[in-house]
Amino acid sequence: MFGRRHIIACAAAAALLAGALPALAANDSKIALVPGGPHPYFAAWEQAGKDAAKDFGLGAADYKVPQKWELSTQNDLLESLVTQGYNAFLIFPGDPVGSVSTANELADTGAPVIALAGCLKDPSKAAFCLGTDTGNSAYLGAKQLFKALGGKKRIAHFTGFLVDPNTQLRIDAVERAAKEEGGQVVQVIADIDAPEPAEEKINAYLAAHAGEVDGIISTAWVPSVVAANALRKIGDKRIKMVAIDHDQVVLQAIKDGFVTGTMLQNPYGQGYIGSFAADKLRNGCTVKADAPFKTNALTNKFIDSGTVFVDASGVDNYISYMQGITKTLLADFQKTYLVCK
Amino acid sequence: MHGDDTSAAAPAPTAAKPVRSGSIRFYLTNEFGLVVLIAVFAGIFGLMTDGRFFSTFNQFTLGRVAAVNIMVGFSMMVVIVTGGLNLAVGAIGVCSAMVFGFLAQVGGLPWPAAVVGAIATGALLGWVNGFVIVRSGLHSFIITLASMSIFFGLMLYLTKAESYRGIPPDFSEFGRARLFGVVSPMLVVAFAAGVLLVLLYRYTVIGREMLAAGARPEAAELSGVRVGRIFILCHMLSGAIAAATALLVVARTGAAIPSMAGQLGQDWLLLAFLGPVLGGTLLSGGRVSVIGTLLGAILVTMLTNGLNLLQIGEFWVQACLGILLLLAVLIDLMRRSYLAHRRMV
Repeated sequence: MFGRRHIIACAAAAALLAGALPALAANDSKIALVPGGPHPYFAAWEQAGKDAAKDFGLGAADYKVPQKWELSTQNDLLESLVTQGYNAFLIFPGDPVGSVSTANELADTGAPVIALAGCLKDPSKAAFCLGTDTGNSAYLGAKQLFKALGGKKRIAHFTGFLVDPNTQLRIDAVERAAKEEGGQVVQVIADIDAPEPAEEKINAYLAAHAGEVDGIISTAWVPSVVAANALRKIGDKRIKMVAIDHDQVVLQAIKDGFVTGTMLQNPYGQGYIGSFAADKLRNGCTVKADAPFKTNALTNKFIDSGTVFVDASGVDNYISYMQGITKTLLADFQKTYLVCK
Repeated sequence: MHGDDTSAAAPAPTAAKPVRSGSIRFYLTNEFGLVVLIAVFAGIFGLMTDGRFFSTFNQFTLGRVAAVNIMVGFSMMVVIVTGGLNLAVGAIGVCSAMVFGFLAQVGGLPWPAAVVGAIATGALLGWVNGFVIVRSGLHSFIITLASMSIFFGLMLYLTKAESYRGIPPDFSEFGRARLFGVVSPMLVVAFAAGVLLVLLYRYTVIGREMLAAGARPEAAELSGVRVGRIFILCHMLSGAIAAATALLVVARTGAAIPSMAGQLGQDWLLLAFLGPVLGGTLLSGGRVSVIGTLLGAILVTMLTNGLNLLQIGEFWVQACLGILLLLAVLIDLMRRSYLAHRRMV
């Protein structure tokens, strides 16, 4: 009997302790990870936030998606999140210029703001921008494509929305790579980072002009998926393609030889490291004045979250590539970019 | 007629009506129904969010969003009066905003002059719509659908999709300013626009001609109203209001951005229809309710804000909004049926 009571008492004590420990370690950082709208690229942020909340003992790190890809919808959501008590924000700017005002207002409430996956145009009150160097990624991808093409040099470029300034950076980067390789971008099809326009324009283009191109580079998620599917349907492995991101359709097409490779980005690492950094900024750390930030077209406080080319030889290990990038960046992040008391 | 509900064919009150007819008819108006719904939902959201709905920050941001929604509604309403549509409100707004950005940043004009230039651009693009509609005889749906793409495409070509960020600080400050710590001046602008529109439709000849031309164009023509010219004027007014709306957004964001109203300016379309339709403006033309449009836009803004605060799954907000709007319409219908059944009108 004593033994049973003892066990019950121990269990109760353990339960109390278990309840008390989180309270003792309570961290009131309530972080919102807010993309510009629904898009598969950002799906990894949800798990990244959950993992960061667990690993770093955060109050919350929640993925909050605006219902539409629309600047005003994102602004409305962000403002409502302030009212709901969120006190740190990781934001993919709905517009690099138009989101500055909202980011500044959020920062004025005392909440750290970090631009994630896409940058705000300087000047802004965002602590820094953590994302892919989109121009460089497109440039490296185009270089890989020309390497795969050998002597053939005519390529088509499928990319995102024209109103996104990153699109022009990507177009310019692919053009630059083509010039350096003595190649030619025979067609740029933009405004197709959504299923309907991508299906319509890519399929129509390939139906009419497949014979006129030797290669395809895609620098946006949806066109990558649609073009990979189209090449599989055509069944012609003559056209080489370099895609972007890690959709399963693209990865399978790489395995099956319809796509040469893909430029991986690191959305999970962005969400995970971003949550870590936002919490640190809330709890007394500041951004180091002489932090080794990079510069891009929008900001001079840019941190590259990493990009890597993966082909058939590495496609099965793409997760470990992304984890490796994240681990390396996180290991020195605080020491490199922050000053903590 | 009550409130600002203005109709070309509104019946005059007759002596045969019951004495209480005037006050009872007030309860039948869309405006009264909307006020009740706004009060009810405000109460619900206030209770369910532990009062956060009424926080100063939330009321300020809610007012700022409502201002844009109200103005977008007005921009569509002044064309719905003619029995037509203007699908290009967003595209016209963005084009005008970009003209403002160009004049202020590149042209170096003081911001009041740039504002005049932007509103004139909106009116000009509205004139193009109206002129083509009147001359071709085609429905405004077709013309404005085409012009939406043309205006937006030209704007993208001319600006290379680059934003204008050199907006004068005084102008940007307007979007961030707070009156009495809680009211956005943008909301004051929207209310002022509403007052001007009420005056237009109730007290000016041209306003009455707009309603008459929208209700029965043939009859209006026979009465000496130059219907074609009036239709063009309505589209010019719509363009000017769309430009003013876009300027509010520029003040809010501190930049003139090609994507401010989404692809082709389509993001404004649903909002543009919701306010006037909820407010009681007839899609067939000839009847307008400025205050109804204003209240309808406030209701929609409030529902969106409240659902966000309640953390209704983000993807469900749109569905909930639709359901609540449908409920709002049904409640309004039931209210009317009940009063009619009780012979209270």
